[in-house]
Amino acid sequence: MGERYRNRIELLQGTLDLLILQTLLWGPQHGFGISRSIRANSGELLQVDAGSLYPALHRLEKQKWIGADWQISENKQEVKVYRLTAAGRKRLTEERSRWQQISEAIGGVLNPAKKEGAS
Amino acid sequence: MKQWWNWRKREKELDKEIQHHLRMAATEREERGAKPLEAESGARREFGNVGLVKEVTRDVWGWRWLEDLFEDARYGLRVLSKNPAFTLAAVLAIALGVGINVGIFSVLNGIALRLLPVSRAHQILSVNQIFHHHVSRNVHNGSSMFSYAEYLDYRDHNHVFSGLLAYEPFVEATLGGGHMQPLVGALASCNYFEVLDEHPAQGRGFVDSDCAAPGQNAVVVISDDLWRGTFAGDASLLGKQIILNRTPCTVIGIAAQGFTGTEVVANAFWAPVTMQKELDAGMDRLSDSNMSWLALLGRVAPSVTIEQVHADLSVIAARIDQSHPGRITSLAIARATLVGRPDEREFLIPVASVVLAAFGLVLLIACANVSNLLLARASVRQKEIALRLSMGASRWRLVRQLLTESLLLSAAGGVLGSLLAFWSFAGVAHFVIAHLPKGFPTLALNLAPNFTVLAYALALTLLTGVAFGLVPALQSSRLDLNTALKGDGALTGSGRKSGRVLRNVFVGAQIAVCMILLLATGLLLRGLYNAQTLDPGFDVKNTASTFLNLETLGFDENRATAFVGSLRKRVADLPGVLEVAQAESAPLSNDHSGDHYLIPGRAEKVAMEYNYVSPEFFSTVGIPIVRGRGFEANDWRNGTPAILTESTARRLWPGEDPLGKVFHDRETGGLPGTERVVVGVAKDASVSKLGEMDTMYVYFPAAPTRNIRSYLLIRFQGNVRDLNNSVREIARSLDADVPVQVTKLEDGMEVWRAPARIVTGLSGALGGLALLLALIGVYGMVSYSVSRSVREIGIRMALGADGSKVMGHALRQAMRPVLIGCLIGVAGCAAVSWVLSSLRFGLDAHDPIAFVSVPVFLLMAALVASYIPARRVMRVDPVVALRYE
Repeated sequence: MGERYRNRIELLQGTLDLLILQTLLWGPQHGFGISRSIRANSGELLQVDAGSLYPALHRLEKQKWIGADWQISENKQEVKVYRLTAAGRKRLTEERSRWQQISEAIGGVLNPAKKEGAS
Repeated sequence: MKQWWNWRKREKELDKEIQHHLRMAATEREERGAKPLEAESGARREFGNVGLVKEVTRDVWGWRWLEDLFEDARYGLRVLSKNPAFTLAAVLAIALGVGINVGIFSVLNGIALRLLPVSRAHQILSVNQIFHHHVSRNVHNGSSMFSYAEYLDYRDHNHVFSGLLAYEPFVEATLGGGHMQPLVGALASCNYFEVLDEHPAQGRGFVDSDCAAPGQNAVVVISDDLWRGTFAGDASLLGKQIILNRTPCTVIGIAAQGFTGTEVVANAFWAPVTMQKELDAGMDRLSDSNMSWLALLGRVAPSVTIEQVHADLSVIAARIDQSHPGRITSLAIARATLVGRPDEREFLIPVASVVLAAFGLVLLIACANVSNLLLARASVRQKEIALRLSMGASRWRLVRQLLTESLLLSAAGGVLGSLLAFWSFAGVAHFVIAHLPKGFPTLALNLAPNFTVLAYALALTLLTGVAFGLVPALQSSRLDLNTALKGDGALTGSGRKSGRVLRNVFVGAQIAVCMILLLATGLLLRGLYNAQTLDPGFDVKNTASTFLNLETLGFDENRATAFVGSLRKRVADLPGVLEVAQAESAPLSNDHSGDHYLIPGRAEKVAMEYNYVSPEFFSTVGIPIVRGRGFEANDWRNGTPAILTESTARRLWPGEDPLGKVFHDRETGGLPGTERVVVGVAKDASVSKLGEMDTMYVYFPAAPTRNIRSYLLIRFQGNVRDLNNSVREIARSLDADVPVQVTKLEDGMEVWRAPARIVTGLSGALGGLALLLALIGVYGMVSYSVSRSVREIGIRMALGADGSKVMGHALRQAMRPVLIGCLIGVAGCAAVSWVLSSLRFGLDAHDPIAFVSVPVFLLMAALVASYIPARRVMRVDPVVALRYE
């Protein structure tokens, strides 16, 4: 049960956290909003499915990198809205630089000649 | 519990969050032009499996175990409710085992663990002193107690107690003045009610001036029971006088209902400690600074620890030691309970351990029984378990599931058993107390469950669940998936080999434990039988006695002699009275004196019990003089003759003629002791302890003035009740305040038999329960293995095997573990029976009759229990059996 989803979470883990934190940098959002933002900002490329999104949100909440509040929406519904905490902001910078390193490293591996040429 | 609510709340929130997501997604689709229904289903499709998303999200919370627990419990409940017969049998067995253990624990709790029945009882500490090295000290009641001078020292110089009280427990007094009855009370320091915070419901407690001077304030506080019972709730009793041991005491207060002091024996009255000499004439304990007679209780402020109290009081103890060269005292300080003094604990702890162990054995049998049921059922459940294993459940997960089921069972059994225990044990205890021999004091025991008992019940229940569940769970989760799934389990007879071995081990264990309990009962029964039929060596049927404790009634020697002289003369003249004698101690009255004597030619002093008797004693009681002569009227004047018992004479002068031999009392105060000359030898009799004929025992002639504390012995014909009435009447006409109760010497034996009877009854009940459980275990195992091997039996029968032979085979298989269990049980009991024989009821630890008859009985019972289900083998129809399953 659930093996399919769990595998995906593990694959996405680092990056999904980064995407969520980055999305929340622009302001508080609810779960659906976060998934739509990621999709729109990635040019409809990245589809975050709910089975990955909600565990990630709850885990980040537990780690106190994001906070959550219940708000009333325009159509009088209770909505759980996530926001970035100070710790999350710090985490985001760390994650970003790590991502930077990883993508540079991967880029280097993928284009060895270019790198040699540069040096 | 809080976690549970928290969990519920988060569960709800997650649900709301996901619903919101779905609605938003649907709205988005509608805005793009989809129809509402389509939009909704599209949103759902995109979202995926809602339940699964929830589950993986919940995993993040780290409460997976809680969820699993609920799931296991739900599943377990369903499984259990599907097998009502199994569930009922298991729950009942556990309820029985846990119930009696919780019950006996609540009794022990009431005796020794519960704090005192006073307000803020946790602040009350009991102080005891323990003397190291050999210290010469006068002891009354308990060696760890204090003298009055020591008490005053501790009271006035400690810095830790808000109040320190002292009291003499178990003070016996005769209530006089028309209400003649024996009472037990306490002599208390005058801050008693103050420190305990138990102010009398009516009137007042003691004030300091009541204790100002010895013998000055004859006041008394009586218990609510005494007031309501004997005095019929007389509202005008306050301020009136009642007579205690001939001393008129003014009633100043009536204690609060339910307050009966701080000892197991309920107090009927409290008098100031300074009235000691007046209430127990002839003894001056108050001014003896080397006398242990007062128990100390102190109340501390909430912030003071026991260590601080110990440190503070030890300073005082060390200072007192300095004025007693050679004395080293240490203090034992503990929260006060009804039974808590070191000497009481010394007695209670081994007794309680034996009792708890015996009750624990029954629980053990119940556990083995349920284990066996679980094992048997596990082989039926093989397929289900194999299925779960093959679906990827881990073995640990499965063990947890099975253990959860066991815990559910034990919880149900534990709750049921505890409820039964709470409900019934007060009644049982009441019944036992009501059947104690006459003259046994009222006990103040609170058997109601408190936190300690509940904690014990819970711990026992959990332990039980794990104890009977763990082995079957481990066993049944270790499966060969292939064979199990193919359903070959039924083909291989009674399950796999290891399972069968385990079941046999459990049956053997049950039988072994049951054997120990039954053998113990058998030994005790034999001991009781011996005690009942024992010839004490003197005439118990035609001799009666009454105790004349004139000393405590304030008689002096002259008055006592006059009173006893007239009483004896007039009793001797009564019709039916054959002879009247007097002795310092009546046979089996449990009222002995002993001393050490110097025997010429021996370095060691010899301890002997002694009795001062009148010349008529031997013929009245019916103890023959076998050598020499009895006492004569003037013996007490002419030197000091002595009469030994046969075995005493033999042990002092083996192979010699004891007549004319000389021995001495031990020297006192530097003076040599009196010389004694042996003039006669009396036949052995168990005058001191029932069943013990060879006590070292010596008789001395009583002076006719030795009347202040004696037993009157009457040899009579006819009815003891008539005799009692006539003697009472005579006594009343001589002195209205002397209580008289004439009883046969036979009744003295009852006191010795009563504990034996209680212990035997208790172990008999336990043995019966154990037998029942063990037989159910044997029956269950045989009937299970027969039903599992129906197919095998069918094949054998079809091949022409004889029905009775097949049954014989089944029986032999069933009896093998029983036999082994029997042997282990007998060996085990032989090893522990010294415990029983040390309880001394004339009990032989290796009584051959018990050791033969009990195993035979148990084997026969087990044979019957296995024969009944094994008989079914005979009725197996091969055709039906081969189609079976």
